[in-house]
Amino acid sequence: MGWLPWSSGDSNKASDGGRIAPDRTSRARCWEGRDLYFACLDRNDILDGIKDEKAARRKCGKEVEEFEAACSATWVKYFKEKRVMEYNRDKTIERIKKEDAEKMKELKAQGWKSS
Amino acid sequence: MSSLKMASLLGRTSRYMVSIESISSKQISPSIRTTAQQCRSYTQAQRPRSTANIQTMLCAQNNKFSTSAFRARAKTMGQLKQRNSTGPFSWKAALLFVLTGAGMVVYFRVEKARLERKRIAEMSKGVGKPKVGGPFVMKDLDGNEFTAEDLKGKYSFVYFGFTHCPDICPDELDKMAEIIDKVNEATGDPKLFKPVFITCDPARDTPEVLRAYLQEFHPGIAGLTGTYDQVKHVCKQYRVYFSTPRDVKAGEDYLVDHSIYFYLMDPDNDFVECIGRQDTPESATKVIMEHINDWKRNGRPLKTE
Repeated sequence: MGWLPWSSGDSNKASDGGRIAPDRTSRARCWEGRDLYFACLDRNDILDGIKDEKAARRKCGKEVEEFEAACSATWVKYFKEKRVMEYNRDKTIERIKKEDAEKMKELKAQGWKSS
Repeated sequence: MSSLKMASLLGRTSRYMVSIESISSKQISPSIRTTAQQCRSYTQAQRPRSTANIQTMLCAQNNKFSTSAFRARAKTMGQLKQRNSTGPFSWKAALLFVLTGAGMVVYFRVEKARLERKRIAEMSKGVGKPKVGGPFVMKDLDGNEFTAEDLKGKYSFVYFGFTHCPDICPDELDKMAEIIDKVNEATGDPKLFKPVFITCDPARDTPEVLRAYLQEFHPGIAGLTGTYDQVKHVCKQYRVYFSTPRDVKAGEDYLVDHSIYFYLMDPDNDFVECIGRQDTPESATKVIMEHINDWKRNGRPLKTE
């Protein structure tokens, strides 16, 4: 796949047997690729880059390639899943807030005063 | 209320007390009598003194040594009117009142916050403590053994993570670096505060990898690694969720789930407080400095070597 110079083959091996992690620059490059890809998904109303992979690849082919080139496969998967998770989380928070507001309205209508 | 009225009121009050006392020998129980006596002596003791205060505040200087009644010393109608318009209140009295009140409010707030911190800090000492942290054996980046004993004597700031972490750890480590700088600036001695990074992923995070990784954030962070079982044990001690796969094939890529809190430990290596994602470097520094200052104020030693 050759996503990063150090990631192919053994070049990311440290001399004491560890595996060198992406440094600040490659992290920044990966995050940039991710943001561009997600912006493209937003433009095309795609939420889940894993479930709707075909559509995502058709619409954002260039972005997804760059994203995958800049990040390791586990990171790509993690970010795609995180996007869905965060979307659902925000939706839930929004729903709870709305329900709370409605409940408050109802209570106020019944003459209950907030302290 | 005018001072005249107040004086007469005081007089009436004390007379009333006396009258109670005169009945009491027959009808009122001894305990009430004592109270009445105390009241009377209190009123009488207070009266001349408070009058004296008012006099000092209001009177002209030529009356400084006068012991005659307050009301007698108003020489002109103008003086009398003036006194009646302000009563025993003057801007000095008002200022004193406001300052004392404000001082008390500030003092009580500070004390309340301090006691709250003390309660939190002492929660992890003694019986029934929620035990976070404890003895462990790991290796530092030079390959030397590092145990929980090495954390004693100073405040330590423990974070768990792994170098292949996609986004949360790097963010948190940048925050950690800011906190370290701020705390060191506040204490004036970088040796009082010991930031520690413990890896949850010993298979990949060898000393060399850890050193290069941490160097990017802050040179003051001590990295700790060890065997799989050592790491598993230390994570258990700190109640850190640990999900590192044990047998990883060479070259296999994986993520590690882990808790993302900073643990502030006191010089006895007892857990003090958690710093989480919601904290800013400023709020975290504030919390840490409050604990360090409490510790110093109690006269307890901090290691500085």
